[in-house]
Amino acid sequence: MLALDVRNVSKSFPNFQLRNVSFQLEQGYIMGFIGANGAGKTTTIKSILNMTRLDSGEVHILGKSMAAHEIELKQEIGYAMGGVDFYTRSKMKTLTDVVKRFYANWDDKTYRNYMRAFKLDENKKIAELSTGMKVKYNLAIALSHGAKLLILDEPTSGLDPVARDELLDIFQGLVADGEISILFSTHITSDLEKCADFITFIANGQIIRSGEKEEFKESYLLLNGAENQLNQVKDRLISYKINSFGFTGLIQADDFDPSCGIKAATPSLEEIMVYFAKKEDQYV
Amino acid sequence: MYNLIMKDVKLGVPFIFFLFPVLMGALMLIPGWIYFIVLLYFCWITVPNLFNQFKAQNDLMFTSMMPVTKRNMVKARVLVIVGLELLHILIAAIFGVFTMLLYPNLTYLFFPPNIGFWGLGMMMFAIFNIIFIPIFYKTAYKFGWALFFSVMAAMLFAGIAQWVGIQHPVVNDIFYGTGAEQVALQAIILVTGIVIFAAFSIIAYRLAFRRFLRVEV
Repeated sequence: MLALDVRNVSKSFPNFQLRNVSFQLEQGYIMGFIGANGAGKTTTIKSILNMTRLDSGEVHILGKSMAAHEIELKQEIGYAMGGVDFYTRSKMKTLTDVVKRFYANWDDKTYRNYMRAFKLDENKKIAELSTGMKVKYNLAIALSHGAKLLILDEPTSGLDPVARDELLDIFQGLVADGEISILFSTHITSDLEKCADFITFIANGQIIRSGEKEEFKESYLLLNGAENQLNQVKDRLISYKINSFGFTGLIQADDFDPSCGIKAATPSLEEIMVYFAKKEDQYV
Repeated sequence: MYNLIMKDVKLGVPFIFFLFPVLMGALMLIPGWIYFIVLLYFCWITVPNLFNQFKAQNDLMFTSMMPVTKRNMVKARVLVIVGLELLHILIAAIFGVFTMLLYPNLTYLFFPPNIGFWGLGMMMFAIFNIIFIPIFYKTAYKFGWALFFSVMAAMLFAGIAQWVGIQHPVVNDIFYGTGAEQVALQAIILVTGIVIFAAFSIIAYRLAFRRFLRVEV
C-alpha cells in the first residue's frame, strides 16, 4: 500500500511555483526529500498537510484523499519540524497534556516508554531542550498517537554528527516492522546516504526525479575530463565546473557514451544537488 | 472544540489574564470614574498581549498540525475571547454593586455602574468583536490594524454614548435615574446589549471563518 501519494500538485505564489509535483512513498520505507533551500520542500510538505490551498492536484495518504479525510488522516500523521518551536516556555508535560486530548489512539504507556528511551524528562521546558531532543520529543508524541506516516521537515538540521547518527538509527528502527513510513526532508544529503530507501529530488518547484536511492544515483554520472574533452559532452551536461585540471560535470547516465574516454563515476546525492543548482544559476 | 478551548486556557492564555478581570474590576471602586475605561483595559492590555503570545509561540502552525477543522479553530478562539470579555464584565459588575453600596449619595457625572451601563458595556464589546475578529482572521497572525480599528470604534462608541448620556435629558434620565421606570428601561437596555453582543460575536465568527479558509498557514 502507498503511505503517501502526491499527484500533480501545483501551487503558485507571487515569487515561486510548485509545478506538477508527483511522487509516491510505499508503506514501511524512508523517503528522503532533497532540494536546496527554497526549492519547495516545505511548501510541498505544507501542501501534503493541507496547510496551504492547492491550485490543482491531489494528495492521498494511506489510500484516502487528504482533502476529503483531513481530520481522520491527521490522526495517523506525525509531523516534526526542525527549527520551529511551539510554546517553548511550557513544560513538555503541559504540552503533552494538551496535545494528547486531540488523538483518539493516544497511548500513555507508549508515550512513557519513548520518553524513557529518548531520555527526556517531562518536567523540562521546551526551551531547555537541545535541537535533537526537540525532534525526539516530537517523535515521541507522534508515535504515542499511533502515527503511521511521519513527515519530518529538516529534522536533522542544526544537529551535531553524533545526534544526527542517533536519530537516523531511530528512524531506521521505526520503519523496520513495515508499518510506519517516513518522509524526511533535508538538505543534508549525507543523512540520506545512510538511511533513506527512496529519494525524491526537487529543484525550483519541480520534481527532478523520484526513485530508489541507488537507482537514483546511478541514473546520473559525474564526468571528470580534460578541458579539451569538454566540447564532446558540453551540450549534454546538466552543468559543469572548470578547474585547473580540466572539468567536472554531471550528465544523465543515458546521455553518456562510455567510448568517449572521459572518466565517469556515480555521483553522491550532494553532487547531484549541487550540479542541478548550478544549472538553475546558468538560467538566471 | 472543548480540546481547543482547553489548549488556549492551558497554553495560550497566560494565567495572569484570568486574574486581570479582578484587578481591573477593582477599578470600579473609584467613585464616579468613567467606568467604560475598566472594560476598555481588556481591549488595550489583554487582547494585544494575548495575540502577541499566539504569534510568538507559533500557535497557528501548532494548531493546524493537529486533527482539528478550521471551523473549530476559529470557533474556539472566538469563544475564548467572548469568555474573557464576559469574565471582565461579570467581575466588574460585582465590584460595581459594591461601589453603589459604598457611595450611595454620590452624584455621578459619568454613567453610574447600573444595569443600563452594563448593557452599553456589552454593546461596546460587541462592536469591538465584530471589527477585531474578522480583520484579524485575514491573516490569522497580524493583529495591529485589527486592534487599532476595533479599539477606535469601541472608544468612539463609549465616548458618544457618554456624551449623549450627559447632554440629552431623556437619555440622562434613563441612565442616571433610580426610579422603577428607569430601572425597567435599564433592564431592557441590558437585554438589548446582551442580544447585540451575542449576535455580533456570531457574525464576527462567521466572517472570520470565511476569511480563515483563504489563509495560507
